Amino acid sequence: MDLLSALSLGELALSFSRVPLFPVFDLSYFIVSIIYLKYEPGSVELARRHPVASWLCAMLHCFGSYILADLLLGEPIIDYFSNSSSILLASAVWYLIFFCPLDLFYTCVCFLPVKLIFVAMKEVVRVRKIAVGIHHAHHHYHHGWFVMIATGWVKGSGVALLSNLEQLLRGVWKPETNEILHMSFPTKASLYGAILFTLQQTRWLPVSKASLIFIFTMFMVSCKVFLTATHSHSSPFDVLEGYICPVLFGAAWGGDHHHDNHGAPHGSGLGTQHSGLPAKAREELSEGSRKKKTKKAD
Amino acid sequence: MHYLWDEMTLTFSRTSMFPFFDIAHYLVSVMALKRRPGAAAVAWNNPLSSWLSAMLHCFGGGILSCMLLAEPPLKFLTNHTNILLASSIWYIVFFCPRDLVSQGYSYLPIQLLAAGMKEVTRTWKIVSGVTHANSYYRNGWIVMIAVGWARGAGGVIVTSCEELLKGDWKPEGNEWLKLSFPAKVTLLGSIIFTLQHTNHLAMSKHDLMFLYTMFLVTIKITMMITKDTTVTLAPFEDTLSRMLFGWQQQFSLGERKREAKQSSNGTASSGSKRITEDAGSGKRHAKKED
Repeated sequence: MDLLSALSLGELALSFSRVPLFPVFDLSYFIVSIIYLKYEPGSVELARRHPVASWLCAMLHCFGSYILADLLLGEPIIDYFSNSSSILLASAVWYLIFFCPLDLFYTCVCFLPVKLIFVAMKEVVRVRKIAVGIHHAHHHYHHGWFVMIATGWVKGSGVALLSNLEQLLRGVWKPETNEILHMSFPTKASLYGAILFTLQQTRWLPVSKASLIFIFTMFMVSCKVFLTATHSHSSPFDVLEGYICPVLFGAAWGGDHHHDNHGAPHGSGLGTQHSGLPAKAREELSEGSRKKKTKKAD
Repeated sequence: MHYLWDEMTLTFSRTSMFPFFDIAHYLVSVMALKRRPGAAAVAWNNPLSSWLSAMLHCFGGGILSCMLLAEPPLKFLTNHTNILLASSIWYIVFFCPRDLVSQGYSYLPIQLLAAGMKEVTRTWKIVSGVTHANSYYRNGWIVMIAVGWARGAGGVIVTSCEELLKGDWKPEGNEWLKLSFPAKVTLLGSIIFTLQHTNHLAMSKHDLMFLYTMFLVTIKITMMITKDTTVTLAPFEDTLSRMLFGWQQQFSLGERKREAKQSSNGTASSGSKRITEDAGSGKRHAKKED
């Protein structure tokens, strides 16, 4: 019985990792990416005034990961654009989202349950892209661990790492808003995923690729759907980071903003307060950065 | 008659760009660099930087297309004669005694001649870009269009990036998002040549090159004579954009009219308000959720 269930789970994972992505999953990836483009302040105006710039932006949102990965591996950065059907599909989605009469398409797609389905499907594509990216990098550099991690990360996080270029295309130039300075949940998760998949590829992790894809997809889908449903920007890694970072990077990591307030307790060595402080400080810090971002968005 | 026409276009399409047309292209590009505020002072203080800018102005399109196709961006430096030619033009433009070249260039017929010849090189660049991309990607027509476009009009992008890096210019306004006229025309040409290359256009290449070049040259010269920057393409573009991108506005206009008629009810207004509110809350969540 036990064996049977294990077998069926393995088979399930295997068949899951072989589901073709092209029409349906890719479509939802494009839809969600372009919805995020539309959320950016000023993008609707941009689309009306400069359709070409807006289209380029949309293409970056959809294919930024391929472009960046190709750039890193020294392949033609325009390589993915030879895939005419994907480009046409993404262009159609861009057109419908920005120019559909009465904003019909956009309102339908933004309806929360529908959006959650699309978000979940997008995560499936993301995990698959990480796996493919690592496989690809492994093909070029057999022992290049860091190359594999970097390629997988870039493939997973997509346009986020290109955000400065993307802003430049929209006529915004803010070098201080860099994704690497304020990593969002998908970027971090892609990084961790890339590390996991690299470990698997170099056989340090005793699981099959299909089951790793399956497990990581489930993790990403549940996290992302939960985050989208609750409109929250916190990430599940916050708790973990709150514990690990002070150990690795010293006590000043989380508490430097409150140093002047809490100087005395630090000195007197109250252990419980010390361990509780960084998480709280982090929370406040992220609150502050969020507020800053909202201000910018307005 | 037909035979003559064929002969003429064929010889035209085989004209070598090398000495004269290239000179015209370099001259126009370097003069454009010199017209920038402060360029002459930079040339006196820091000749190397000025030379580099001049090279970027002259070879920008080639650099961009090389980057797109993952070829070394410095490939243009292997072409010694062209580099020497461009450098000598840069030298005489900036350091000629009494500024003779600039004064000569300010004479309108010379400007017209140089600009016309520069447009000829544009056609050749587009064609070479399209064929070059085709050698990489047999069926990648989007790649072909993009590379042709980059080679024909990509210089603007490279030079604006250079200015951005130097800190001379900040993309605050949206001016640079607006495609300049050469960029639009080059995009059009790139599409046409790609269609021709994939045999979707029943026309021979040399005929097309001749016609397109004539079109470019006449437009450029009329634009320079009338000093008008919105010739020819504007009405066409207007219709096209109204057809493609005007749906929403027409609908919202209609809605507004209806709303004005039934001002007491106000359901439509509440609907549209909800949409704008949605957009507003979306903006608030606009943090990179990606």
